[in-house]
Amino acid sequence: MTARRTASLRVRVAVSFGLVTLVVCGALSAATWFLTTGYATAQRENAVRARVSADATLVVGTRQFRPGGLPDLLAGLGGEPDTTVLLRSAGSWARSGPAVSPDALPLELTALSPGDPPVVMRIEVDGREVMAGSAGLGTPGDLLVELAPVRELQSTRRFLALLLTGGTAAATVAGAVLGAWTARRSLRPLHELTAAASLVARGDLDARLPTRADPELAALATTFNRTVEDLGDRVRRDARFAGDVSHELRSPLTTLLGATDVLRRRRDDLPPAAREAVDLLGPDLDRFVDTVDDLLEISRMDQPVDERDLDRVDLAGLTRAVARRQGLEDRVDAVPGDTHVVADRRRLDAVLTNLCTNADRHGGGVVRLGVGPAPEDPGTVRLEVDDAGPGVAREDRTEIFERFARGSTAGRRGAGTGSGLGLALVNGHVRRHGGRVWVTDRPGGGARFVVELPVAEDTI
Amino acid sequence: MEEGGPKALLVEDDDRIRRVLTVGLADEGIEVREAASAEEALPLLDEDVDVALIDLMLPGIDGMALCRSLRERGDLPIIIVTARSDTDDVIAGLEAGADDYVTKPVVPGELAARVRALLRRRRPTEQPRRELAVADLVLRPEEGVVTRAGEPVALTRTEFRLLTELVEGEGRVVSREDLLQRVWGYDYFGDTRLLDVHVRRLRRKIEQDPDSPSVVLTVRGHGYRVQP
Repeated sequence: MTARRTASLRVRVAVSFGLVTLVVCGALSAATWFLTTGYATAQRENAVRARVSADATLVVGTRQFRPGGLPDLLAGLGGEPDTTVLLRSAGSWARSGPAVSPDALPLELTALSPGDPPVVMRIEVDGREVMAGSAGLGTPGDLLVELAPVRELQSTRRFLALLLTGGTAAATVAGAVLGAWTARRSLRPLHELTAAASLVARGDLDARLPTRADPELAALATTFNRTVEDLGDRVRRDARFAGDVSHELRSPLTTLLGATDVLRRRRDDLPPAAREAVDLLGPDLDRFVDTVDDLLEISRMDQPVDERDLDRVDLAGLTRAVARRQGLEDRVDAVPGDTHVVADRRRLDAVLTNLCTNADRHGGGVVRLGVGPAPEDPGTVRLEVDDAGPGVAREDRTEIFERFARGSTAGRRGAGTGSGLGLALVNGHVRRHGGRVWVTDRPGGGARFVVELPVAEDTI
Repeated sequence: MEEGGPKALLVEDDDRIRRVLTVGLADEGIEVREAASAEEALPLLDEDVDVALIDLMLPGIDGMALCRSLRERGDLPIIIVTARSDTDDVIAGLEAGADDYVTKPVVPGELAARVRALLRRRRPTEQPRRELAVADLVLRPEEGVVTRAGEPVALTRTEFRLLTELVEGEGRVVSREDLLQRVWGYDYFGDTRLLDVHVRRLRRKIEQDPDSPSVVLTVRGHGYRVQP
């Protein structure tokens, strides 16, 4: 969800950058377009006007002094090769250059009176765009019309249009990319914060934010790092405290256990009252010892697994052995397949024993101990401990794996209640072995505790 | 209980724990000599003692050093009593020569069971004077003697029992569980560290090159076997 929101922010920034670039570049391009084409057209008009005036003067001179040379003159007028030159003299048209019907010419060109200044305009004649210039020849009705091609002007305009459109588009894309890059860059600290925070949430208290030169970001990083450090200190202090307390309790517990052991052995020699006292003392003392052991184990949970404790263990074999010890042999449901894992046998045994004990205490006993390769992942070995109890409410399914969580039996204490650390230990052990544990509903009622561990890599 | 019962030397600096273990072990039929420190323990060793129970954390000479000096004197079985089950402590204690270990809080009944498992003798077998041979080693289980190329090798009782179990496998793999059960008397499994350290100690005494063993071979994930 966070990722999606961040992405959309990035997209929004990119789009804004793109739009701003488009508007600015578009306006600049339009201005360039109008200025350039206007200027080029005006230049062309001036050139045509100058030429038609000069040519008209030439025609007037030739007509006056050498009327026979007029057709030759006409052929040489116009300058450019594709220019059509039309001469109306005494009502009839003479022409040189590409053919054009004089009737197609607009009135503005042909209705010149003597003394009018030359007229220049852009017109279309026979599907051809031309710059037309018209000048009077001093006598009414006579005039010289020149139609100069505007191919160069057109190709310049086309080229300019292409250049400006392309440039605007490229700039828009560049703007969007720049926007995306800037957004990502400015959001990077946020990403790092998110990543670090989720690491911390998963229990990695060594996660830190990199320190930055930027004063605002530096403050954030420092605050975050200090918080995580404090949290880590507190967790370590708590663990050490639990460890120290249980360690200190071991000496008096040894004395207590030893003395009680003798009393239990001599139970039959005791008067009834003392016998009852010993019977009461025994189970509570055992639970006390279990709790202290579990607490010590929990306090070590943050230390990495000692390589020397690891061994290839057949989970199916271990399950059978634990079942045999607990009198549950007939509940084992072993699916054939490779069930070897790399694990500390003692801890894996504790996982199995604790899950069975948990089923006994809260789930009416184990009804099935399933073990085998995980159905959907051959790289994983799965253990399932099913009970016949009321199941675990959906909202309690994470909490029961925490320390001193007691689920529905909270507040009720009797001989059957455990240390409250059993499932936390299961969770801790399984996680330290690179696996995971969760609880779900057993088909047909009751709870199913599932443990998944990675299968041992080389099968010998 | 056996007549007379085994005699244990208990070295423990905490008075109350020492008292309660003495009372508890006595109740289990084990006669206990008490010592509060290694210094106090050493003179008592000259007396008739079957097993030493040593707390690793002792004032003055510590338990580890006491273990080593006992090992130098002979093969008196040693059980270390540690406050922790940390791998380092346990392995160091076993490397120092201990045969087995228990962690506090320990119940006298459990400690007595470990003592009895350690001291039990092999049942005399029908065929007397058996001889087992592997590589250049010859074992005479009934006499507790092993020779290597004719020279006697000094093994502790536990090391000897471990070697005998392996040799009797005649080259087949003997599982960790079986070894722990037959040598130490653990029901299903004890700590495999116990077995691994003992195999290491055994190799140091009987192998040409303990780092690349040719007699006692590891079968990963299963156990050990001898190369016949």
